[in-house]
Amino acid sequence: MRWLLLSLALQNLGRRKARSLLLIAAVALGSGVVFTGAVLMQSIDRSMAVGFTRLGADMMVVPEGALTNIAASLLVVEPSELVLDADVLAKARITSLGRIAAQKIVRVEHSGIGSHHESADLVGFEPAQDFTVQPWLVEKLNRPLQAGDVILGAARDGVLGSQLLIFGKPHVVYGRLGRTGVGTHERGVFMSFATLEALREAIGGHGTKPAVLAPGKVTGFLAELAPGATPLQARFAILSNVKGVKVVAGDTTLSGIRQGLAALLDGILALMVLMFASMALMVSVLFSAIVTERRSELGLLKAIGARRGQVLGVMVTEAVLATGIGGILGVVLGVLVMRLFERSLVYYLENVGVPFLWIDLPRTVAFAVGAIVLASVIGVLGVLYPAWRASRRDAYDLVRSGA
Amino acid sequence: MLSCRALRKSYVTERGEVLAVGGIDLDVEAGRYAAIIGRSGSGKSSLMAMVGGLSRPSDGSVVIDGTDIWGLSDDKLAAFRNRRLGFVFQFASLLPTLRLVDNVALPALLGKRGDADIYGKAAMLLGRMGLGDHLDAYPGECSAGEQRRAAIARALINDPVLLLADEPTSDLDEQTEIEIMDELLAVNRELGTTLVLVTHNLALAEQAEQIVHIAGGTIAP
Ligand SMILES: Nc1ncnc2c1ncn2[C@@H]1O[C@H](COP(=O)(O)OP(=O)(O)O)[C@@H](O)[C@H]1O
Ligand SMILES: [Mg+2]
Repeated sequence: MRWLLLSLALQNLGRRKARSLLLIAAVALGSGVVFTGAVLMQSIDRSMAVGFTRLGADMMVVPEGALTNIAASLLVVEPSELVLDADVLAKARITSLGRIAAQKIVRVEHSGIGSHHESADLVGFEPAQDFTVQPWLVEKLNRPLQAGDVILGAARDGVLGSQLLIFGKPHVVYGRLGRTGVGTHERGVFMSFATLEALREAIGGHGTKPAVLAPGKVTGFLAELAPGATPLQARFAILSNVKGVKVVAGDTTLSGIRQGLAALLDGILALMVLMFASMALMVSVLFSAIVTERRSELGLLKAIGARRGQVLGVMVTEAVLATGIGGILGVVLGVLVMRLFERSLVYYLENVGVPFLWIDLPRTVAFAVGAIVLASVIGVLGVLYPAWRASRRDAYDLVRSGA
Repeated sequence: MLSCRALRKSYVTERGEVLAVGGIDLDVEAGRYAAIIGRSGSGKSSLMAMVGGLSRPSDGSVVIDGTDIWGLSDDKLAAFRNRRLGFVFQFASLLPTLRLVDNVALPALLGKRGDADIYGKAAMLLGRMGLGDHLDAYPGECSAGEQRRAAIARALINDPVLLLADEPTSDLDEQTEIEIMDELLAVNRELGTTLVLVTHNLALAEQAEQIVHIAGGTIAP
């Protein structure tokens, strides 16, 4: 019986091929937009959230003459021979700054990390003060960070807990950072000041040691603004109290773009809701026409003893088939479109300072299922009222009015 | 077996109320062949629809085999129509997207009685109606007469106690009409199924054991 109702519904769809295809296409378009929109919005949302919390630093204080990299969203100091005293900012007591995290960065070669000639940035941080490295941890050992531990940038291979020799000294891979979109970070090796300082003897062989490895010296500081303070105030306070430094603020145009992006997302959301509503309306109009057209057949089904539920079932099956297929096609379409535009999209977003992170697979699947279910529900809702009204009428009425 | 009391049907239209059946008392005994005759528009189809459980009376009752069918709930009435009644319409009434054999089997499948060999029986009935080589044909591929015979086979699939046929041959040629009438009468005689037939063919009506003449929605003497 089931399959007969199903084949009845299928063949009814096949009877008006053009109309069915149009309906399926419209639903596919609608649910494709909803699915793609949801996945993209969530991904962008996540990327932005990650961007904001992880890139906690508002400004960077480095030695005058140091190179900096602010093309990306992260404030990154380029390693150099220039150093600052580790307590220089603390001593100046700058009230317009909030948290301050010092970093030591050394670029080393022949360290044993990666391939033979590869250079690597060793980044030291003080675990207790740090607010820019550890938030990026996506996996780590189930214990606190300790001396001898290193954290790998996203692009470095290494099993958690395994040993990593740096200049012949054994270290333990403690954790791994998420993708930051900043090349030097992706390939960096992060560790506490103590761990980095312990490498001092090994680095540079018998020649000159990098100055930053000396205790009490740092490459630069990453700082947060105190609540209510402006970058300008902070910059002025720092420059007038500390000699020989340069202040680099995070790119304010980037935050402007981020805000613009947020507004755009709201717009997309509104558009999606509208699209969805108009799709639901269209489907229900179409199905009330289909039910009217099918009246005599529904009457006939009733006449030969189909219960009202079975009559409803035939129409609902037909609707769910059409809109469900549409939903599935929409999801497939969405996946294709995202695949197609992945490169340019990710490139664009990373350019404006959002390290793009797709949502994980289970959530994507959930959205796909959601879009398909939603499409089917629209079908059910669209057909239910006209079908219910028809099913209430006398069989003879239905047969006559359709004939 | 069939007993109608004070049966009335009026339709509400834009031009006001139309009285199609104005109080009919009718009894048909089990196994009989009753013919209903009357001019077009006299209310025959309306009466048949009420007797067949297809159209709710404005007033009055229909009792079949001791069951007051319009006192039943919607689903119970559907089940009653399914198991006890066979209805042959005045016009083509097969589902166009199903093969003949599916059309004939459908009432049995709807009734969910999983036991019997439904398709075997459907094929047997179609064979009996001379459509043994049309099982897999779609209605659109069959002549009007073949379709009507398939509709009769469908009406018989659940072994109804009452077979109702509303001018089943009015749109067919004379030869086909005779063949189809022979089938219906054979069902009545051989299976003992009570048959109520609406016809404007007086020769056919005269073979009936009971003739009911309807005029203006009531029984004419
Ligand atoms: N659904 C309906 N709505 C309004 N009037 C109807 C309807 N069905 C039948 N009638 C009217 O009721 C009367 C009886 O019709 P019907 O029962 O079909 O007669 P017959 O079958 O004897 O030709 C006719 O006047 C017809 O126009
Ligand atoms: Mg009639």
